[in-house]
Amino acid sequence: MNLYEFEAKTIFAQFGIPVPPSKLVNNPKDLSKVFLGYPLTLKCQVLTGGRGKAGGIKFANSFVEAQKLTQDLLNLEIKGCKTMSVLVEPKLSITHEYYLSVTLDRELGVPVFIATKDGGVEVESAKNVVKLPITYPYSAFLSRLLAYKIGLRGEVLNKFANIADRLYKLFIERDLDLAEINPLVEIEGNELLALDGKIVVNDDSLMRQPYFQGWLESHLVDLPPVERQAKLHGVNLVELDGDIGILCNGAGLTMATMDMVAEFGGKPANFLDAGGGSDQAKTLAALELVNQNPKVKVILLNILGGITACDDVANALVDFVKMHKNVKLVVRLRGNNQDKAKEILSNYNVKLIPDLEEAVKEAVKLAS
Amino acid sequence: MILVNKDTKVVVQGITGKMGQTHTKRMLDYGTQIVAGVTPGRGGQSVHGIPVFDTVSEAVEKTGANCSVVFVPPYLACDAGFEAVNAGVSLLVVITEGIPPNDTSKLVNYANMHEVTFIGPNCPGVVSPGHSLIGIMPGSIFKEGRVGMVSKSGTLTYEIALALSEANLGQSTCVGVGGDPVKGIEYQPVLNLFENDSNTDVIVLIGEIGGNAEEKAANFIKEHIKKPVVGFIAGQTAPPGKRMGHAGAIISQGSGTAQSKIEAFNKAGIKVAKTPTQVAKLVAELIKQPIRK
Repeated sequence: MNLYEFEAKTIFAQFGIPVPPSKLVNNPKDLSKVFLGYPLTLKCQVLTGGRGKAGGIKFANSFVEAQKLTQDLLNLEIKGCKTMSVLVEPKLSITHEYYLSVTLDRELGVPVFIATKDGGVEVESAKNVVKLPITYPYSAFLSRLLAYKIGLRGEVLNKFANIADRLYKLFIERDLDLAEINPLVEIEGNELLALDGKIVVNDDSLMRQPYFQGWLESHLVDLPPVERQAKLHGVNLVELDGDIGILCNGAGLTMATMDMVAEFGGKPANFLDAGGGSDQAKTLAALELVNQNPKVKVILLNILGGITACDDVANALVDFVKMHKNVKLVVRLRGNNQDKAKEILSNYNVKLIPDLEEAVKEAVKLAS
Repeated sequence: MILVNKDTKVVVQGITGKMGQTHTKRMLDYGTQIVAGVTPGRGGQSVHGIPVFDTVSEAVEKTGANCSVVFVPPYLACDAGFEAVNAGVSLLVVITEGIPPNDTSKLVNYANMHEVTFIGPNCPGVVSPGHSLIGIMPGSIFKEGRVGMVSKSGTLTYEIALALSEANLGQSTCVGVGGDPVKGIEYQPVLNLFENDSNTDVIVLIGEIGGNAEEKAANFIKEHIKKPVVGFIAGQTAPPGKRMGHAGAIISQGSGTAQSKIEAFNKAGIKVAKTPTQVAKLVAELIKQPIRK
C-alpha cells in the first residue's frame, strides 16, 4: 500500500524525524487559515511518481497567487491519478540535498540502507550511492557507519545518522516495504529535514498494524477498478489487453496458462490467481470478475486441485452458468475430487477437457 | 532422493487447525512418518492418532522428530519456525503464505546460524515419491523415479509432475522452494544435492519472473552441475510492475523478466521448455543420454 506524502510525513514526525511545518488544503479558501508566510510551496498529493515533472509542485509569492495555483493543482491528474489535496509548506532555502531510504533487499534477504550525498534526483540515476545491509541484531552504529560511508563528517554525521536510525525503526515497527526520504535537505543553520517522503506499507502486514486499519480501500486509487475490486475480494487479478479470460489456482500455473494461450496464438485478457483452497463463493466471485471485462470472448478455467477441491469449483461453475447462459467456457479440472466435479457438471453444458494443451487450444479456437 | 525419505520423522506445528488436520491425514495416508503434532495449550490431545504436545522441544524429546512442517497462521508462523530451530530439528518446512517478509528475513538468519535447512515459506513442501511427502502436494500425481524437480511454484509443479508421471518419468524428489521474495533454501543448494544424488539422472528447474534467482542458478549450473537440466519459466506474457500472485513475482525496473531468465538458461546449456508437456518430452530425450559434458 502506497501512502501519500502528507501521510508519510505525519508518520516521520511520530518517529522523531524532522519535517517542515505544513498544512493540508482541500479548497483554495482554506488558505486563509494558513500562516506559514510567503513564498509558499504547494504540492499536489497523488499516489504516483513523477509529480515534479508533471507540474505537480508550484511556488506562490502571495495569497492571490496561492489560491489560483491551489485550484490548478486540485484539478490536476497525473498518470490517471486524481489529486487528493494540496500540501502547503513554506519555501525553504536549501543548502544541500541527500537521499536516504530503507528497503528489504530480496537478494540479500535483509533490509538495506540506501543513501547518497548527491540526492535530489531519482536514486537510479544518482551518483555515489551507498548500499549498506542491515544485519541482525540491528544497532545504531550502523546508521553512523552509513553516514560515514556517504562521506559525512562532523556535526552533520550525527544528525544524518540519527534520522537513519529513526527511519529504520519506523521501517520495522510499521512493517514497511519502503521508507524513503528524497530529498533529505540541509537548510540554513545546518538543520536536516525530510522535504519529501515515500512510504510503502507491506500488504501482508496490514492486518497486524492497527495504525493502518481501514486504509487499504482509499489507497488503491492507482489501480484499475476491477483490480481494486479483486484485491478487496482477496483474489489476485491483473488486467491485460487480450480476449481470453483466465482463471487458475496458483500464481505459477496461472502465468504458465497465460503463456500457453500466447504460445498457441491467443491473447490472454487477464491474470487471475484464485489462490489455493478457494471455495465455491470465492470461485464464483472470481468468475464474475473475469466476466466483467467486455473484451472477454471465452473464459478458460484451469484448476489443478491440491488444496482446492474440484467439486467446490464445479458448484461455482453451475451457479455461474445458470446466471450467464451465453458465456463460452473451457474448463480443465483435475486433482482432488475430480470425479465428483465431473458428475456435478454432467447435467450442464460445460465442456471438460482434462488435457491442458487441448484445453488451451480449444479456448484459442473459440476466441477467434 | 534428497532432503526427505522414509526415516524422516515429522512434527506438524499447528496440527489442530483446519489445514494442519487435513494435511496430516493426507501425509499419513501417503506413508509419511508423522510422529508428533504441536499446538500450544493442546498438549495431551491427539489428531488422527498422533500425539499433540505443547512445545516443539517436548515433541522432539519424546518422539525423536527431526523435521518440522509449519501450518501456523502468517503472524505466528515465524515464531513457530524459531521454536522448531531452537528445539533442534534439522529440516524446517514452512507452508504458510503471507508471512511479513521482515519476519522471514529474521527466521532465515536464525536457521542459517543453526545450520537448519529451511524450505519456504509460501511453498507446497517437498516429496520423495513413494517414500515421504511433507507439505500440501497432492500425492497421487507423483511417481517414484529418477527426475529431480525444484520449483518456486506449487500448482505449476503439480502440472509438470503430472506431465512427467503420465510420460512414465517418475521423480526422485520434488522441492518447492516457495514464491516469496525472501526465502529459506534457494535453487543452488537443491541443485547441488541432486548432483550428488545417485537416484537422480535429470533435473527440472521451474522458475518464474521476479528477482534474479534463476540467473544465479543458471550460472551455478554452468559451473557445478554435470547432470542435464531442463528449465521452465512462467510469466513470459506478464506485464512489468505488477505483482503476479506470488509476492516475489514482479518485474521491477526492467529486471526479473522471463526473457532474461531464458537467455541465462540458454547460455548455461539448459534446455528450455515452452509448455509442461514439453518438459516431459525434453526429459525423455535427455534421460537416454544422461551425461551432458
